[in-house]
Amino acid sequence: MATVSLEKLVKRYGAVEVVHGIDLDVADREFIALVGPSGCGKSTTLRMIAGLEPISGGNLRIGGKIVNDLPPRARNLAMVFQSYALYPHMTVRENMGFSLKIAGQKPEEIAPRVEEAAKTLDLTHLLDRRPSQLSGGQRQRVAMGRAIVRQPEVFLFDEPLSNLDAKLRTQMRVEIKKLHAKVQSTVIYVTHDQVEAMTLADRIVIMRDGHIEQVGTPEDVFQRPNSKFVAGFIGSPPMNLKDAEIADGHVVFSNGDRLPLPSRFRDRVTAGQKVTFGLRPDDLYPAGHGIHSGEDADVYRHDLRVILTEPLGNETLVFSDFGGAEWVGRMLNPRRLAPGEALPFCFDLSQAHLFDGETGKTLRG
Amino acid sequence: MKGWRPPAPFLLLLPAIVVLAAVVIIPLILSLYSSFTPFRLTQPASLYTFVGFRNYARILTDLEFWTAFGRTVLLLTVALNVEMLLGLGLAMLVEKATSGQRLLRTIMMFPMMFSPILVGFQFKFMFNDNIGLVNNALQSLGLTDQAIPWLIDGTLAFTAILVAEIWSSTSVFAILILAGLLAMPKEPIEAARVDGCTPWQTFRYVTWPFIMPFAYIAMTIRSLDVARAYDIVKIMTDGGPAKRTELLWTLVSRTAYADARMGLANAMAYVAILLSILFTVYFFRKLAAARTQIAAEW
Amino acid sequence: MNENTKARLNGLLLSAAHKIGLFLAMTVICLPGLWIVLASFRPTVEIMAKPPVWIPEDLSFDAYVAMFSGVGQGGIPVIEYFRNSLIISVTSTAIALAIGMAGGYAFARFRFKAKSSIFLGLMLTRTVPGIALSLPLFFVYSKLGIIDTHFGLIMAYVALNVPFTIWLIDGFFRQVPKDLAEAAQIDGCTRWQAFWQVEFPLAGPGIASAGIFAFLTSWNEFALASQLTRSVNSKTLPVGLLDYTAEFTIDWRGMCALAVIMIIPALVLTFIVQKHLVSGLTSGAVKG
Repeated sequence: MATVSLEKLVKRYGAVEVVHGIDLDVADREFIALVGPSGCGKSTTLRMIAGLEPISGGNLRIGGKIVNDLPPRARNLAMVFQSYALYPHMTVRENMGFSLKIAGQKPEEIAPRVEEAAKTLDLTHLLDRRPSQLSGGQRQRVAMGRAIVRQPEVFLFDEPLSNLDAKLRTQMRVEIKKLHAKVQSTVIYVTHDQVEAMTLADRIVIMRDGHIEQVGTPEDVFQRPNSKFVAGFIGSPPMNLKDAEIADGHVVFSNGDRLPLPSRFRDRVTAGQKVTFGLRPDDLYPAGHGIHSGEDADVYRHDLRVILTEPLGNETLVFSDFGGAEWVGRMLNPRRLAPGEALPFCFDLSQAHLFDGETGKTLRG
Repeated sequence: MKGWRPPAPFLLLLPAIVVLAAVVIIPLILSLYSSFTPFRLTQPASLYTFVGFRNYARILTDLEFWTAFGRTVLLLTVALNVEMLLGLGLAMLVEKATSGQRLLRTIMMFPMMFSPILVGFQFKFMFNDNIGLVNNALQSLGLTDQAIPWLIDGTLAFTAILVAEIWSSTSVFAILILAGLLAMPKEPIEAARVDGCTPWQTFRYVTWPFIMPFAYIAMTIRSLDVARAYDIVKIMTDGGPAKRTELLWTLVSRTAYADARMGLANAMAYVAILLSILFTVYFFRKLAAARTQIAAEW
Repeated sequence: MNENTKARLNGLLLSAAHKIGLFLAMTVICLPGLWIVLASFRPTVEIMAKPPVWIPEDLSFDAYVAMFSGVGQGGIPVIEYFRNSLIISVTSTAIALAIGMAGGYAFARFRFKAKSSIFLGLMLTRTVPGIALSLPLFFVYSKLGIIDTHFGLIMAYVALNVPFTIWLIDGFFRQVPKDLAEAAQIDGCTRWQAFWQVEFPLAGPGIASAGIFAFLTSWNEFALASQLTRSVNSKTLPVGLLDYTAEFTIDWRGMCALAVIMIIPALVLTFIVQKHLVSGLTSGAVKG
């Protein structure tokens, strides 16, 4: 059973601590995504799990066994690197069979496993090429093939798709998901792209500055962000997050514009408190063009002037001014809007978030 | 000829070709000619007597020459291989060091700055049987109670020369291989570790294929300049004792200047030149192949 | 747990072995040089002492004072040797650099017939052992009457340095992207201007280190110098070193002192160029 447990895991470089004692339990066959901006410690964490970085403190267990000081080869895992890290002087076939060869398997045992993995990944016709003769997407698939041939207990992915163009990325995302369904291994997947994390993972771990901000299912982290940071990180385009102050039952923005304080926050805030108000673009739409009808009790209507639009075909992102800042709304069934045009907008306050102005923590109960 | 403009690269290379022709090629043609004469410095007229291949025929049957030739090849083979191995080891030691990299690299290049003649004196001093550091140390440590005749016994002298030669040239290999190690992408090594390689396997299957061209560059550079061993030997033993460390180059020098038999010496020199060229062309070929491979794949 | 302890112990052992290995290697590299420096400050009696004196008791600059005190008083014409070495090395380096830049640029930027053969041919002229070259050069030079002159040795050293200078400078120019010179030409430069305004400044540090390398080669050369020089007119330091050897005796202390004088400029210069030197030699290997 390949569970992976991080217990107060610490990484220090000299006097600088970059991972501050994180705890995480990954269940067997679970797909976990580590996301966060660059420098948040997600790659370092993955490399500690792989055994490529020495662990400075805490414990790492794989399958229940402490492996802190074991070299990578004693941990039975496979890793897909951002740059693919294929061996340039070996053919695709040799690359994929390398770990088995090192493990002392006979050529006749290696061949069928390489063939099978190649078939899964549609690489059969490329087996005798060198990595330099392959395209980015093909190299990416070879890197994955190299990992699955080993049949490891744990798969580690370090930003595997970030060197691909957008279209290939979407395609490979699907491949990885299929692959996981098929091989049923534990996967730890590092990415800075929240879309990848959302679409692939069973649970998402959001990291920031060497701490874990939140762990949860994609729904959890999207709908119930624990902090302003998570709220801003997950979702595209990002949530509108605006600093404001509480005054007589309203959220008051810097220029005096105000929104009614949603009822469920009434007990959580006091007058004069500094807060950050958050509203996803989906919950800010021109009347009649939203996900919801706009007729609910918690919907606040207000006329906004359009600054700029980004038509995406099936929807249009609308940028407009409110409370002294720029807000993004999402318009479904769009019609053409002219900049400068004023039209009634719906603020769906039932979906609004409030965060403490100082700590950034959610004010939801 | 009117309107013909010589191509730019030709013009750019012209000065180099002119200088090399004047200082190297023409004198070499002259020496090739004189190798077919019984030319002696003391008898200028002898330059115009043509004796055909007599000098070469004499060399062919000259045991002394072939001993020197064999010794030279032996010295080069042993020295180049040992230098390569030590250089590789040294480069890896320095690359693995976590602190003081700059200092270590600088120290590593130290012997390169020593003129070969200085290296010769230095080791002649250290291997001196009476006052040398080596014997003094051995005696003080009680490892031996008599003075080992380092530069007086033939085999020991050859060893001492080897040590001097290796000391002075290992750093060429070390810095170039270190440059290779530093230029190498790190991910394939990490991938190999995750794939289950022991450190030795990582080196054998991943690091070494990448480092090889750098080793060939070092080999080529060294083979361009193998004759600098002449300076070392000239100072340490001057071919002695009793010609037991005579190399091609010291033999040429003695035949030409001490015995004044220029014609014969030139014939010998030609054999030495051919030997150098052979070494260089061989490594250049290897280098070119390794370079294209690395450029295509890495 | 046991497995972890073992792995950790293994790691500690390896790192200890690494440190010891590194220390030993560095000692072997440094010791001969340090020994020379030390000996130059010790009186001859102490150098010759039996049993050896390990801890120096009497350090002084006597050897250096004696060296500069002129011929006849135990000195050698070291100032003349130094001057000859300097003139010959600097001049030949300057000429070799000019020629090498032209040649290196040709190899880095142009395609032409038999390019690699020409390159190999140039390199091969360098393989001619100095001693083998000295025979015909000696003959030619004496016919031309330029034996024992600065000019003769300078010419020889230019030829000696050109091939390697071309190799290095070729490497440095290849590191400068071709696009830059093309961009400059689109911006209105002639090819000539583009070279001096864009490519030359970028390859500059590399070219400087190629120069220093050429300088060191000339500064340290012995085989040719020993045959082509006769007197204080043109004798260089490496040849001057032989002044301390008589038929059967060697003035070790004086020689060590002269060695120190010789090595100091070389040391300083090598430190300055070490980084560029390596990148120039290897640039072709990683980038074709």
